[in-house]
Formats: sequence, C-alpha cells, structure tokens
Amino acid sequence: MTNKTTNKTINKERYQRTFSALHTSCGMEEIMMEASERMETSESMKAKGKKEKAYIPKWVAACVALGLVFVSSTVVYAADIGGIQRNIQIWLHGDLTDAVLDIQNGQYTLTYEDEDGNRQERGGGGIAFGPDGKERELTEAEIMEHLDEPEVRHKEDGTVWVYYHSQKLEITDKFDEDGICYVHLKDGKDNWYMTIKYHDGVAMSPHGYIDPETFD
Amino acid sequence: MKLSVDTAFSKYGDRVFAAAFSVCRNQADADDVVQETFIKYYKLDQEYESEIHLKAWLLRVAINRARDIISSSWHRKQVEWQEYMNDLTFEEPEDSRLFESVMQLPDKYRVVIHLFYYEGYTIGEIARILKCREGTVKSQLSRGRKLLKNMLMEEWDDDE
Repeated sequence: MTNKTTNKTINKERYQRTFSALHTSCGMEEIMMEASERMETSESMKAKGKKEKAYIPKWVAACVALGLVFVSSTVVYAADIGGIQRNIQIWLHGDLTDAVLDIQNGQYTLTYEDEDGNRQERGGGGIAFGPDGKERELTEAEIMEHLDEPEVRHKEDGTVWVYYHSQKLEITDKFDEDGICYVHLKDGKDNWYMTIKYHDGVAMSPHGYIDPETFD
Repeated sequence: MKLSVDTAFSKYGDRVFAAAFSVCRNQADADDVVQETFIKYYKLDQEYESEIHLKAWLLRVAINRARDIISSSWHRKQVEWQEYMNDLTFEEPEDSRLFESVMQLPDKYRVVIHLFYYEGYTIGEIARILKCREGTVKSQLSRGRKLLKNMLMEEWDDDE
C-alpha cells in the first residue's frame, strides 16, 4: 500500500472509532421494538380480513407531531378546555392585526380577520426536547416567538413577498438564475438572514445566510 | 428485500443517528431524524435491491431530513453539540479532538467527510446518496480534509 492509502486507512479507523461513541438515545430501541410488534399485529389483523382500524403506533404519533412543528395549517377551532387564550396583536402580512391565540397542549390556533373581513384560522405546534432529552410541550413564549418570525408569501398573481413586522418587501424579481433570493431583515436589534428558494422552501437564521444546498 | 423495522433499526439505527448528528450536531434533532427515517421506511411500500441499497436509502433520507431541520430557525433553540460531547465516552483521548474538529467543519464538508470516513463510501457513492455531482463531493472532501489537517496537525494523517 502507498503511504496515502495507509494514511487513509488509519484516518478511517480513527474516525470510525470516534463516531462509534454516538448512539441513539436510551429507550429508542424499546420504542422501536414495541412499535414493530404493534405494526405486525395490525398487519396480521388485516391479513385475516378483520376490519382495519385507524391505528397509529405511539411512536408514529409522536413523530407526526414533531413533523408538524410550526407548519401552519388550517385547524378546527377547539373549545377552551383549560388552555391559554389570549387576545393579542400580531404582525400578519405587514399589518398589526387583532387576533385570538389559543394554546392547548403545545398546539396553537390563531384566529383573526383578514383584510376582507373574513375570519381566518391558522395553527400548528408540536413538542420540543429539553436539555435532558425529554419531550415537553412548546411554551407560550416559544409559540409567540415563532409567530413573530418573518414570513414569505407566494401570491396568486405570481408575486413573492416577504413580511416582517411592519415591513413588506416584494422580491419577485430578486431571484437569481438558480431561483435563490437572499434577504437580510433588520428591525432594531433583531436580524434575520433569509435564504428563499422560489416556490421551494425558506431557511432563516439570525446569524447568517444558510447555504441553499443544505435544505429543500 | 425489506427488513422488519426492528431489524433495520438494530442494524442501522446508530449509523442513521451518526449521519444525522454529523449534519445537525444536536442529539435531540438527530433522534428525531432517526424516528422519522424509520417511520418513512415503515410506511413506504418499497423493496430494496440489497442491504447496501437499504442502508444508502436510510442514510439519504436521514441526511435530507437533518438538513431540513438545520435550515429551520427552530434549530437554534436546541442544545449545542459541545454539551452532548460531555456525555460521550471516547476510547482514546485524541478521539474527542477529532470529534470536536469535525463538528467545527462547515455543514457541507461535514456530511461528506462522515460518509467517506465513517461509512467508507467512495466519491461516486456519496454523490449518488447526496444527489450531487462527483466533482462537488471531491472538492468538498478535499477542503474538509485540509481543514481537519489544519486543526488536528499530526493527529490527522495526510491522505490526499
């Protein structure tokens, strides 16, 4: 073997030894085993011609909830059963808007009237992990912080707009030949660096532009 | 072929976690990625040509999902890799320095370095997993190696 080949082998061994210290969190294997058993039971019931139940294993439900973290969606307004309800003012599409924020178990529903006076609802939520790795519900402050982040809107007329607090910025003609637009927003001490792909996702950070190759 | 979820997890769970961690540098995020990857595996009615194909598929899904997570502003609220590192047990003292150096590499170099040195993939295989050009992988690997060499000096052999 040449020196470089030998060195490559040594480096690989070092790297593999180092990263073999990484493991999934404790309990993950048990969750997977349990889920697997339940899935097999469900498949077996289907095979026997029994009526299929809308069964979601526990770990699937948990992960679906994670996948919903702050993905806005239309939700059904839930009656207040002990959660937090606030009348708030929030920046929506550049306008300071009166809205009702309802938080139940880390999920939120925002109800407001749009510019045409129509009642609109949006919602989202999910769970977060604490420093100890345990799941916890999103706090009201975290939800509020999310709602205060910049928003990109692709309008039906083909124009693309960025909204942040009272600022509106049309960026329709600002995309480069790869369909990427970089926007730096500043409001007081708050900074946002946005990497926007035309109809294909947004990534933002308060520290710097995120490489468009690193997200879809 | 398709392995049961628990078998696939037993064989590749830690590898998927390591790949995800190399992208997002966060234990909780990497755990999320592992769960989501195996959910997708379970839900997708797909046969795999071989275990090699299956492993490459799992890694690709995990890396893409991890990239989605780091592009989210939510990511910044999570625990940093330095804290997680304190909980790791390394076999040799220099391993912690290698880990630290890899974590300091830019995102795009880190994942290529990981697939090359940990998974043992060739440049062509990495390009197929990441769906990018071989030239891109080659240059990212080369830059990543140089940065590692600069940081680790004699603890990283010149292999280019």
